[in-house]
Amino acid sequence: MKKARKKTVAANGGSLWPLRFTLNGKKVSAKVQPTQTLLDFLRIEMGLTGTKGACLEGECGSCYVLVDGRPMNSCLMLAPQAQDRTVTTIEGFAHNKKLDVIQQKFVECGAVQCGYCTPGLIVAAKALLTENPHPTREEFLVGMEGNICRCTGYNKILRACELAADEMGLKKK
Amino acid sequence: MFYQPNVIEEALGLKAELKDGGTFIAGGTDVVVLMNHGKAAPENFIDLTHIPELRAIHRHDGALELAGNVTYAQAGKLPVRCLALASLSVGGPGIRELGTLAGNLASASPAGDGSTALLALDAEVELTSVRGARRLPLDKFFLAYRKTALAVDEMITKITVPTTYRSDWSKNGKRGAMNISIVAAAVAITPKKETRIALASVAATPIRCYKAEKFLTENGLNAGTIRQAAEIVRTEIRPITDHRASADYKVHLSGVMVRRLLENLVKA
Ligand code: FES
Ligand code: FES
Repeated sequence: MKKARKKTVAANGGSLWPLRFTLNGKKVSAKVQPTQTLLDFLRIEMGLTGTKGACLEGECGSCYVLVDGRPMNSCLMLAPQAQDRTVTTIEGFAHNKKLDVIQQKFVECGAVQCGYCTPGLIVAAKALLTENPHPTREEFLVGMEGNICRCTGYNKILRACELAADEMGLKKK
Repeated sequence: MFYQPNVIEEALGLKAELKDGGTFIAGGTDVVVLMNHGKAAPENFIDLTHIPELRAIHRHDGALELAGNVTYAQAGKLPVRCLALASLSVGGPGIRELGTLAGNLASASPAGDGSTALLALDAEVELTSVRGARRLPLDKFFLAYRKTALAVDEMITKITVPTTYRSDWSKNGKRGAMNISIVAAAVAITPKKETRIALASVAATPIRCYKAEKFLTENGLNAGTIRQAAEIVRTEIRPITDHRASADYKVHLSGVMVRRLLENLVKA
């Protein structure tokens, strides 16, 4: 995370931005440096280190969060851009100590090795399955194409996502 | 300072007033990358993501009016084939939610997928400032490498595209996803049966291949003329050798891509 911490602070008079938004279901107010990325804000100011930063240029997806339900690269958003939005990070996925189905399937399938890509992948899968509950294999590949995993080879990840889709489909019936 | 206007007029007012002109920010896929790598540190930001009218899509007779901040995710659902496919070929889902068509045009990357599809569609842009609005055909918009006709106080407020063109898109890169093209091509046929050919990554800006277009418009579209037009395309482009591919390869690829696209379009 060395790179992510090296902040580029514009000489902007140092005035802080009064940020108000919903984070993992809770209303949050904070004063933020307007040049801070949403990724850094979440990790450093909010202590939510589940969201990862790697490339910091939109190439890897490890920084994915849901903004109003859609997947976005938090490394490319400035914190004030989350104003009045609803942001969900991986920390907002489990409820009452129970993992989200997608998380559960990742565990069961062994879809995690070093785990650095995992939060981003789960966020991407969530966004996909919310929009399209029964994706084909091809649609899965498109929905997950913004995420890079350097360890697993993707097969178990896809398997976990497909099983999660099956289970979510069963639950709804 | 960071400004977050809710209406276009406010944003334009700021753009005109701020001494350094301020930096428009929407998806951040260009400017925040530069900031993250310590290559830019703008002093004043004008955030365009909280202006709802900049996300609007209006349908008129035979045309779509896209506000500047229509995202690739939005454009990917439009009933305009080459634009939809080009938009879906950009980045991954997160980038497509963030990145905007106006951002793609303004950054004027030679590899701009959205820009190239819009060129083939004879898109028109509306450029607005506190001084008023003007309209410009997109082929007058790209001036040189990363240079556009956009004045310092202007914003791309609208992009108009016809829905009456038949079009198609093809992109070649080193991998299937998260791809910046080696060559990308958009072709279209107008209701008057004129052909449009636009290419990315083969010149300093996304370009139209006017000579090949003219040849096809004059000689009609058939297997023979398409093959000849593909030859003309090869002479019209000036790609450079870079880490993605050699100039020779890009020339060859361009001819093949344009030929296949047109053959399919004629068949369909
Ligand atoms: S850290 Fe954001 S995409 Fe890689
Ligand atoms: S598990 Fe290590 S990068 Fe995916």
